[in-house]
Amino acid sequence: MRAALRWACGLVLVVALAALAAHDTLAPAVGAAADTAAASPAPRVTTEKNTCLDCHRGLEGRLSAPTKDFSQDIHAVRGLGCAGCHGGNPRDPEMSAMDPEKGFKPAPAKKEVAEMCASCHANAEYMKHFNPQPYIFSMAEFRTSVHCKKIEEGDPKVATCTNCHGVHGILPPRDPRSPVHPSNVAFTCAKCHNAEYMKGRTVPTNQLALWRASVHGHALLEKGELSAPACNDCHGNHGARPPRTRDISLVCGNCHGREGELFAQSKVKETLEFEGKRGCVTCHSNHDVKPPTDAMIGFDGDGVCGRCHTPDSPGARAAAIIVPGFHGFKARIARADSLLIVAERLGMEIESGREMLKQANDHLVGLRATLHSFSLEPIQAALAEGSGLADRAEVDARAALRDWRNRRIGMALSLVVIVALIALLVAWIRGMERPTA
Amino acid sequence: MERRRFLAWLTRIAGTALGGFILYPVARYIVPPATPEATTRRVLAAKKDELAPGGSKTFAFGPQPGLLIRTADGQYHAYTAVCTHLGCTVQYRAGGGDIWCACHNGRYDLEGRNVDGPPPRPLEVYAVHEEGGDIIVEKATPS
Amino acid sequence: MTGGVRAWLEERLGLEALRHVAEKKDVPVHRHTFWYYWGGMTLFLFGIQVATGILLLLYYRASADEAYESVRFIMTRVSFGWLIRSIHSWAANLMIGAAMIHMFSAFLMKAYRSPRELTWLTGMALLGLSLAFGFSGYLLPWNQLAFFATKVGIDITGAVPMVGEFLARFLRGGEHITGGTLTRFFGFHVAVLPALATAGLVLHVYLVQRHGMSLPPSVEDAGRPVPRMKFVPHFLLRDAVGWLAALGMLALLSALFPWELGLKADPYASAPAGIKPEWYFAWMFQTLRMLPSHIAGIEGELIGVLGIGLGAMVWLASPFLDDPRGRGRRARLMSALGVVALVYIVGFTLLVYRGPKP
Repeated sequence: MRAALRWACGLVLVVALAALAAHDTLAPAVGAAADTAAASPAPRVTTEKNTCLDCHRGLEGRLSAPTKDFSQDIHAVRGLGCAGCHGGNPRDPEMSAMDPEKGFKPAPAKKEVAEMCASCHANAEYMKHFNPQPYIFSMAEFRTSVHCKKIEEGDPKVATCTNCHGVHGILPPRDPRSPVHPSNVAFTCAKCHNAEYMKGRTVPTNQLALWRASVHGHALLEKGELSAPACNDCHGNHGARPPRTRDISLVCGNCHGREGELFAQSKVKETLEFEGKRGCVTCHSNHDVKPPTDAMIGFDGDGVCGRCHTPDSPGARAAAIIVPGFHGFKARIARADSLLIVAERLGMEIESGREMLKQANDHLVGLRATLHSFSLEPIQAALAEGSGLADRAEVDARAALRDWRNRRIGMALSLVVIVALIALLVAWIRGMERPTA
Repeated sequence: MERRRFLAWLTRIAGTALGGFILYPVARYIVPPATPEATTRRVLAAKKDELAPGGSKTFAFGPQPGLLIRTADGQYHAYTAVCTHLGCTVQYRAGGGDIWCACHNGRYDLEGRNVDGPPPRPLEVYAVHEEGGDIIVEKATPS
Repeated sequence: MTGGVRAWLEERLGLEALRHVAEKKDVPVHRHTFWYYWGGMTLFLFGIQVATGILLLLYYRASADEAYESVRFIMTRVSFGWLIRSIHSWAANLMIGAAMIHMFSAFLMKAYRSPRELTWLTGMALLGLSLAFGFSGYLLPWNQLAFFATKVGIDITGAVPMVGEFLARFLRGGEHITGGTLTRFFGFHVAVLPALATAGLVLHVYLVQRHGMSLPPSVEDAGRPVPRMKFVPHFLLRDAVGWLAALGMLALLSALFPWELGLKADPYASAPAGIKPEWYFAWMFQTLRMLPSHIAGIEGELIGVLGIGLGAMVWLASPFLDDPRGRGRRARLMSALGVVALVYIVGFTLLVYRGPKP
């Protein structure tokens, strides 16, 4: 009997402890933090004692790792110490600081990380203390992403907040050292999206290499143009997911507005959607977008029209009109330009010709966008107008050259008269002063 | 004797020719050219009924293009046609009642204010006067 | 008919007296007679400047907003505007060149000896006015080169001790070069300077007529009587040959090397590289450039300005410093000084254009 009682007590004790432990790890962090936030609207700023750091700094390996970069962490800078996320008592130097009763939450499991971050970052009222215009939709976006789906399915090799943003040395995205700064984002994604990590999965893994060689990659990494897209600009930040086939042109069109607009109204978009093909990507590719060249127009050489159109299609017939028209226009501009340069070198003023050529060039730039309407009428209209301007510039240049020639003729004639007059005067002087015999 | 008279005659001819070479350019010079003044301040942009309501026209204002618009109510508006973003030439869209830049989709309203797209500043607005049968565009004096 | 008109004018204007003076005037003929033509050449070119200047006035506008555009208008829209403007710019340079040749030849021939001291002084004043014409006119097209060259020029003026600061502010019309400077320079160029130049010219030409042409000492020493040629028509016809040659030169230069428009002045842009003043100031510019920044604790630029000023004073005082007869050691020294000055000026001018870039 005594043995059974002992067993029963032990069992009760174990169950109670287990229940307590389970309660702490499984209790929704959202509720706890939300309660505290609602109860005390002001953030818990701990600027004085932080015994967590003091103690953990002296420990080894995994336990001291969080202390290394924490002083730079944006949360620390804003006054939220360890207790800001983990709860507990930062003024207590004993182990009792980590008392779950005092609200302590140890390191969350992968599934819980997003909820933990969202407990503050999705709370508009709370975030407003730090930023009058906070971004509070990361969690809602994350829920739409492939990453979130896979986490819910229990996949351990998937990204959550801390995988991209870091955990105990989180820097704001604006900071060039942050792993989510535009110049670093692609490499952060590639930490998982590479052949080795993704072994055994069907996800393609060559995107980083392709993107780095692309015009976007060059712009961002080499020229430092922060407006150039990295992975997140097309796939989404938190709602990371490849765009649907028929949304691709909208994604590209977010920056390439004119082309996107024209394309959206064109017949090509309809056809591509119907056939389930990808807009923009069909001609320009998606990760390794190269700078477009005029050689892409048409069927020959680098021409992309042949990717969809057969040589006897209406599209091919249109190309047969557009391609020579386009190159003819460029040739006109080049010709006018070379004549204007000659006139300039000769010292003639050709401001209005230059102005017209500039407008012709503007039309050329616009024409390259107009091509995306894939409709013969507007393209021909733009070609006609632009060619007209280039022709007028050429006329101006030729008039200047004619003027220059006329000036030289006039000068030569006047010099003839002057030299003749000088000779006559000299003869007159000689005649007058001839010694009388 | 004959030689001397011949030379004198020749001298007179040459002298007259030289006089012509001097006086002809001067005479042409003092006659005012077609546009009487450098178009820095004001310019004749169009004739009275050249533009129908809803129509527009690009005209030269000095070395830069200007845009003259006639809205549906018959009123004229004029602006510089140089987009404040990267200098492309803007155009009027009667349908949308706005001024649009084809290069990067910048948009301005009829007051010249930049309302959409990359342009950082409004378009400079010019004053328009009707004088006789001419539509004159002038740089607006700062108020 | 012309005889009747002439007689009518004769009676009223008293042209007889003028004709008498003209007929009496003669010019000595000797080895150095060639140099006598250069005063008339300078006058001829000045006449060209007045004529083309008045024509330019019909279209030029002297405000910072419109100056450049009006010059472009003249160059591109006005018939033969390019010709009038190019002639005006080239003739300005030729005139100053002719004036300097005239000055150096007068110096070396010691034409400044008594009783022609005032002729020399008025001549120097006219040269100064020509330089002022050149400096003020250069700014009027309001292009980048002109703007910054003027800025450098006035800054150097500011280096003159005591009066420099005031002088610079007076020229600029303020602390910086602005549209106000342009208006002021225009006023100088078309009103003040022409008035002073007219007065100076009248005086100078009157004095030349009064005292006649001087003989260089070497010719005087020869002892032989010097043959003379009548001014009208012999000397005048020869003058005309020279003037025609100058006219041809101007036609050639204007057609082959039309004066450029440049870029509109932008006070906020950085000065274009290689800014230098017009060639007639180049030797002063080069002198100042070559001086070290400090000499014995005093600013190099100040030393340069003072040095040039001192040199100018000595040059001006030549009639009083030289031997009155133009002979002897003092005279030889002065001639040597003249040659040194000529070589210095020519050399330093060439250095600016052909020498190593600073």
